[in-house]
Amino acid sequence: MNGLNNKSPSLLKEGGALALSVYKNTYLRFIAFGAVLALLPVLQSAGLMKASTLSYLGNVLIYAVVALGLNLLLGYSGLISLGTAGFMGFGSYLAAIFTENLQLSFWVALLVAVAVPTLFGVAIGFVSLRIEGIYLAIATLCVSEILLKTFEQVEEITGGMQGKKANYPVIFGSKLDRSGTYLLLVIALILTMMLTYNLVNGQMGRAMHAMRGSEVAAQAMGVNLLKYRLISFALATAYAGFAGALYVFFIKYTYPTVWNINLSLYVLAAVVIGGMRSIYGTVVGAFLVWAVPDLVLKNLPVIGKINGLPYIFNGVLIILVIMFFPEGLAGIPTRIKLFIKRIKEKNAAKGGAQSA
Amino acid sequence: MPDISSAALNQGEALSIDHLSISFGGLKAVDDLSFTVNEKEIFGLIGPNGAGKTTVFNCVTQFYKPNSGSVWFRDQKGEVINLVGRPVHEIIKHGLVRTFQNVEVIKELSLLENVMIGAHTNFKASVFEQAFKLPRARREEKEFRKKAEDVLKFLEIDDRKDMLAGGQPYGVLKKVELARTLISNPSLIILDEPAAGLNDSETGGLADIIRNIRDEYNCTILLVEHDMRLVMGVCDRICAISFGKFLACDSPEGIHQNKLVQEAYLGEEEDEI
Ligand SMILES: Nc1ncnc2c1ncn2[C@@H]1O[C@H](COP(=O)(O)OP(=O)(O)OP(=O)(O)O)[C@@H](O)[C@H]1O
Ligand SMILES: [Mg+2]
Repeated sequence: MNGLNNKSPSLLKEGGALALSVYKNTYLRFIAFGAVLALLPVLQSAGLMKASTLSYLGNVLIYAVVALGLNLLLGYSGLISLGTAGFMGFGSYLAAIFTENLQLSFWVALLVAVAVPTLFGVAIGFVSLRIEGIYLAIATLCVSEILLKTFEQVEEITGGMQGKKANYPVIFGSKLDRSGTYLLLVIALILTMMLTYNLVNGQMGRAMHAMRGSEVAAQAMGVNLLKYRLISFALATAYAGFAGALYVFFIKYTYPTVWNINLSLYVLAAVVIGGMRSIYGTVVGAFLVWAVPDLVLKNLPVIGKINGLPYIFNGVLIILVIMFFPEGLAGIPTRIKLFIKRIKEKNAAKGGAQSA
Repeated sequence: MPDISSAALNQGEALSIDHLSISFGGLKAVDDLSFTVNEKEIFGLIGPNGAGKTTVFNCVTQFYKPNSGSVWFRDQKGEVINLVGRPVHEIIKHGLVRTFQNVEVIKELSLLENVMIGAHTNFKASVFEQAFKLPRARREEKEFRKKAEDVLKFLEIDDRKDMLAGGQPYGVLKKVELARTLISNPSLIILDEPAAGLNDSETGGLADIIRNIRDEYNCTILLVEHDMRLVMGVCDRICAISFGKFLACDSPEGIHQNKLVQEAYLGEEEDEI
């Protein structure tokens, strides 16, 4: 019977097997996820999705990148930064200045937008992290405010309150359009997810886990706390600078008010809601924080009219998650599995009792 | 560093605590303490509650900086070094690694990953190589995963290797801490109350495990333990302290019969000694 089945495998079966092998390979799963994201603009060109929806989705991808960086810091290393917005804004201005004012290539601008905020971050981390982990929160909050004031005041370069314009990127000689840039965001996010996955599952990730879980054990095992805290913070800052550059290339505009403390708190919310130490959870968190209020809630009757809806929504969401799902939404699948297992065990116990 | 170092340890000696003192406020937790541990020896440090045993360990591993005294140690190159003043995270690189009185494992990691933390300093691949999974990072990950599996097998908990440490029984976590010290190929292991929280049969097995570790991994073991049956059964020599001060250093029988030690334990654990 088996032989017969093997000789004439149905298309469905092959498809299923393929889907399963994609699902089982972590990297193929990331790529499949990217493919789904990349296909969304098709919906728009087919008239199934509003053009503005694509902007919101693009935003989600950008903020997912920065949230992944903060997750490295908060979720894995157990440190808090309140300066995410400042560093992201820094990256956005640098990318705009290097492409618009200095007429340098996309790649140079991207490199600068990542490298300069990172170096900045390392310097701040070096000063504050030597004292205590918690000083990082205070230092980053201050630096973020200083950066914000700089964006406002250095008008000749940043355009002051008016903001600064940029353009869709030119890559290898061809200028991207809106959906091309969206595709770039998808690739950037998927790459970020893969690199993050590699990092957290290797020596670096274990060292970060150890720092958060037990400082003394980490030290006894040879983890230099200052070094690994600095690396975590540098990575979070690099992700923020990168996301800032992506932002300005997609939105084509950057101005100071975007980069205030609210944004830093939103990124924090995305990590907590989506799930600390979960890569897909972080992306879901970004979607909930940046897309759901505008795409879904605004269209609802009555609720949609409330002022400051996104704030209320995110606030309520955070409270609910902390109360009921401390591991974030990413913890839900595990809980369901556990629940099913328990029911099965109960049934098995019942069955056993009956037969005995 | 002064050049008395070669004289600080004689041939066959692994570690020497030399006039070590540390006080917290007015309390002298360790008071001019000296003793020497020989290579490949299982050496016990005993004393009533609060005698300063953990503090000695913390001074050796540099979690505390002693007020005075030295800790001489023969590192993996065979050189004699003073550990005092060295950064705490560098101690393991010299071949000295410890466990903690209250188990310190990472709940969110699997047993295997917890053990791999012990190999932290053996990894040479940079963060960049790890992010892009370049050959060296890949090779090292595989190598130490295998090594961690071997250590878990040695301690007979390899069937649980992929389970999260959170929620595991205390006895298993104690073994994970042990495994985490073994993966780094240490020359000296410091165990702070390895039997605390274990049941009788687990404690019975622990004596064999400790001996096996010494023989298989060819290392010296220094341990603090309240379970006198274990200490007396497994240790080659024992040092007893009280209120941070040296009482005696002798064979288990010698310690058992020592008047000073008996007095120190009077009213404490007289039924045990
Ligand atoms: N960091 C510290 N700050 C202040 N006092 C300390 C500190 N560490 C230890 N002590 C004190 O030093 C003394 C010795 O403590 P230690 O933990 O070394 O004892 P111990 O012999 O390990 O005891 P136990 O058998 O209960 O583990 C105690 O009085 C303790 O309160
Ligand atoms: Mg103790």
